[in-house]
Formats: sequence, structure tokens, C-alpha cells
Amino acid sequence: MLYFKYFKIHTKCELEYKMSFIMSFISQFFVFFGYYFTIISLFSKFSNIKGFTVYEVLLTFGIIQFGFAFCETFFRGLDKFDDLIVYGNFDRLLLRPRNILMQAFCEQISLIKLSRLLQSIIVLIITLINIDITFSIDKIITLIFMLISSVLIFLSIFILTASYCFFTVKGLEVRNILTDGSKHMAQYPIGIFKKGFVTFFTFIIPFGFVNYYPLLYLLGKSDNKLLIISPLITVIYLIPSIAIFYKGIKKYSSTGS
Amino acid sequence: MNVIEVKNLCKTFKVKEKEKGFIGSIKSLIKPKYKKIEAVKDISFDVEKGQIIAFIGPNGAGKSTTIKMLTGILYNDSGTINVMGINPNKKRKKLAYEIGCVFGQKEQLWTHLTPYDNFKFFGSIYDLENSVIEKKIKEFKEIFELDEFINTPVRNLSLGQRIRCEIVASLIHDPKILFLDEPTIGLDPIVKENIRTLIKRMNKEYKTTIFLTSHDVGDIEKLCKRVIIVNKGEIVLDDSMENLKYHYLNKKIIELKMKEKVNLDDSKGITILKDKGYNLKLEVDTKKTSISDALKLIDANNIIDINISNVPLEDIIKSIYKGEK
Repeated sequence: MLYFKYFKIHTKCELEYKMSFIMSFISQFFVFFGYYFTIISLFSKFSNIKGFTVYEVLLTFGIIQFGFAFCETFFRGLDKFDDLIVYGNFDRLLLRPRNILMQAFCEQISLIKLSRLLQSIIVLIITLINIDITFSIDKIITLIFMLISSVLIFLSIFILTASYCFFTVKGLEVRNILTDGSKHMAQYPIGIFKKGFVTFFTFIIPFGFVNYYPLLYLLGKSDNKLLIISPLITVIYLIPSIAIFYKGIKKYSSTGS
Repeated sequence: MNVIEVKNLCKTFKVKEKEKGFIGSIKSLIKPKYKKIEAVKDISFDVEKGQIIAFIGPNGAGKSTTIKMLTGILYNDSGTINVMGINPNKKRKKLAYEIGCVFGQKEQLWTHLTPYDNFKFFGSIYDLENSVIEKKIKEFKEIFELDEFINTPVRNLSLGQRIRCEIVASLIHDPKILFLDEPTIGLDPIVKENIRTLIKRMNKEYKTTIFLTSHDVGDIEKLCKRVIIVNKGEIVLDDSMENLKYHYLNKKIIELKMKEKVNLDDSKGITILKDKGYNLKLEVDTKKTSISDALKLIDANNIIDINISNVPLEDIIKSIYKGEK
């Protein structure tokens, strides 16, 4: 498959500079533990936030970090999409007989970010060992759906913000509101926020379906079986994102050479 | 057989206009003003199979825009394009198998990898089987003399070596048409010559149609049989190289070095380009005055040195750009 061909070649490239790779990998791994420490120190003051305990918050945190790190590692090309447009290198993709979105994913694959993915997995494992949930099959399925939807939602946001570049050429800040901004908010169970935020994260960017509504089921706070499959709503979010991306290509005007 | 057919092609860009300075920037943020630029206005031409065609014009004439529309990078506003029987707007992927592109100013190779790894990768992008790719690489290795550096990472190659690799990378899938956008830019004369020979050989051996843009007159003169000149988005000339030269070749340049000062004035068919007393440079329009008539004006015993030459192609093209006919 095309993606794996690119993956192989990116790996080859990154391993050209072994020392730099190892150093960056280690530093990334430790720097982002800071995030988790903030939460733990927060909970050393308060035993719970609106009924959510420290491990429950760490679970949502871990799931969001997992999705984000996954996309940053494997779909980094989209994150850096404005570079591709500004320097006119997008032309190159259009000259190849392959799917453009796919090529955009592959344009950059950042193995260094793999350390963040690894880290989020470690946090998730620690959390799942300590959290007060009795796991049954439906709860495991819910958890898996949550992980998948976390990847999907970041993927859609990445695609959406990448398409934004077609219309404005350079559009950094809006992307950050969507990715980093919502990432920081969604790291907590959104139920702890005011109602406006809850509506926003349910209907505008459906983070609620990634880590809040299914969480309620997971923690036994709700018995509604529909909540098991609620994460799949993010798939619906993905479709228009892709459609907008392709609309953007038609608007693409290249750069002079 | 025509491999490229273009009819009434148009493309307009909308460009944001900014006023001067910081306040201007803010103004344009609040109420952007747009300016329409007609990059390509009603261009039509055909290219036959196996031709080497030069597509030239000053900067901003619409060359690159036209190439980008032909290769499916940009959508055209109106008009029809037909490349190998394919509409680039609709069947971009299918077209990609048929054409190869080299943009002298944009690299497509992976700089951290060796040319060999690069070629393998590009081959696999085009769904070629491993054995086919190997065969192709071996073939090109000989033609393009890549032996020395095929296993050196691209970042360590010289510009000339890299351009050769770029061309090979775009030929790996056996394209029927090769688009070359300023392939010899920044190269030294020997490497330029080398690249030109290779392009010619490609054209002969594989019957590849070559569509070339260049600012280098040498490229055009040595390679192309047909020239299309565009300026301000319109075709100003579409003719064979021979015709182009012939048209302008009825002008001859005579350079003279004299023993004694002579006084010559412009007369019928003769223009004095330079007059430094002992050194003269004349342009003779042979349609109006023959060379021998022109020479009669000068005392033969007085000449130390004489040199009669054609108007250089570069000057011809310059005058076409400026709109003189």
C-alpha cells in the first residue's frame, strides 16, 4: 500500500540522523509528562471535580492525547499542509497518479512524535489498572470505540484545517483554535464545563461523543446502550471535512515559479 | 498525431491588492480589494507527437500557468485542453501516468535518500513492478551516466547531478510527454550542453514529445524545431525555428575595424549601431540593401578587420518580446 511505502521511506530519512532522532524522541517523551503532572497535582488539592475522580479525568486525558499523538505521528503531513501550499510543493502531489488526500497524509510522517503516542498508551494502561470500572465486553468495546473516534475526530479537524489553507493560503491561528484549543478543553470530561461549551463540543466539534457520553456509560453513570456506539458519530464529521478538502483543491491557484 | 490540443484557453487569477504600509495591511484585512489578472488569454495550439517544442516568454507571460493547466495542476477557466486524449481537469490520475514533469526550481527528489532509493520509490508510485524498475534504472544509469553517484544521498550531489536525477525520476514510468520547466537553470555551460544532449537522445530513442520552457536561448536553439512565444498571456508567435531565424536573418551585423576614421550615416537599409571612429558596427537589412552594396560604401583598403554575422537569436527574441516585428 502506498502509505507503507511512504512510511518506509520516511523512516529511512529520519534514521539518516540517528543521534538527533534518539535525542528528540527522549526529550519529547519526558516533556509531555508535564501535562499529566498538572492533573495529578490538581487532584491532590481536590478529591474530585464535579464527581469525576483523578483516574476518570486521566482516562479522558489519555484518550484525547492518544488520538492527537496518533494523528501527529502518522498524518503529520496535514498538520504542515500550509507549508506545502505556500512553497508551491503541492503541485508535486498533483502530478502523481495517486489520491491527493492520501499523499497529503504521507507528505510527512513524524516518528519522533511516536514517543507521545507511547506515553499516552502508558498513561492509559496505568489508568485502566487503577480505575474503578468492572470491565465487561460492552465496556471494552466502548473503550475501543472511544480510542478510534479520538483518532477520527483529530483526523477530521486536521483535514478541515488543511483545507482552510486553500482558501487563505496561510492560516495558522484558526487551526490552533481548533486543534490545540479544543484539545485542551476536551482533555477533561466536558460535563465539568458550562452549558455553552457542552453544546459546542456536542454539535460543532463533537468531542463530547469521543470522551464524554461514552464515558458516562463506561463509568456506569448512564445505562443507555446507545452511548456505546455514540463515538461513531465522528465518522459523520469526517465526510464533510473530506468534501471541503476536495472543494479546496479546485480553488488551488499554485504559486509562481 | 497531436498529443496536445489546446483551444481558447483562459485563466484569470484574483489577487489581493494591498495598500502601502501597516495601515494598508489592516485596511486590506477589513475590506480586501481584489485585482483580476488575466494570466492566460485565449491561447490555442497543437503539438505533434515526437516534437520538441519551446514555449518561451518573459517572466510573468503565462508560461508556467499554461504548463500547470496542461499537467492538471490548475483548473482552466474556459477553453478546452486535450493531452493524450485526456482532459487534465477530469482525469488527473490517468494523465499522470502519461506525462513526466521536471521543474528546474522545485525539487521532487527526497534529499536524504540516494538516487537509487528515489527511483525505486517513484517507480512504485506508478505501480511498476520491481523487475521493471530495476531494468529502467539500469538503462538510465548508462544513458545519464549516474554510476558515480547513484548511491550517494541526493543532498550531497552537485546541481548538475541532481538535475540529471530529477529528469530520470520523471522518466521512470515511460511518459509520452515530458514537460521541462527551465531544466538548465543555474547550470554551467558544460553541464547544460550535457543535459541538452541527453534530452535530444531521449527524444530520439523513446519518441518522447518534449515541451520545454527556458530563458536560455542556447537550450531553445539547440533543441527545438518549433517555438511558441507568449507575452502577457497571449501567443505572439508560433513558428518553426527555421522560419523564425529566416525572418530575422535578413538582417546582418557588420563589424569593422578601420585604419582611418570614416564618417558614415544611416542610409537606406543600413543602421549604425555603434560608431567609435575606428570601430564600426552596422546592421544591414538585406531586403533593402544587399551586403555588397553596403560594403561598397566602405573603402576596402581602409579595413583592418571585418566580421559579418547574423543577429543573435537572443536579440531576435528580445525584440519579439518588446513587440517589434
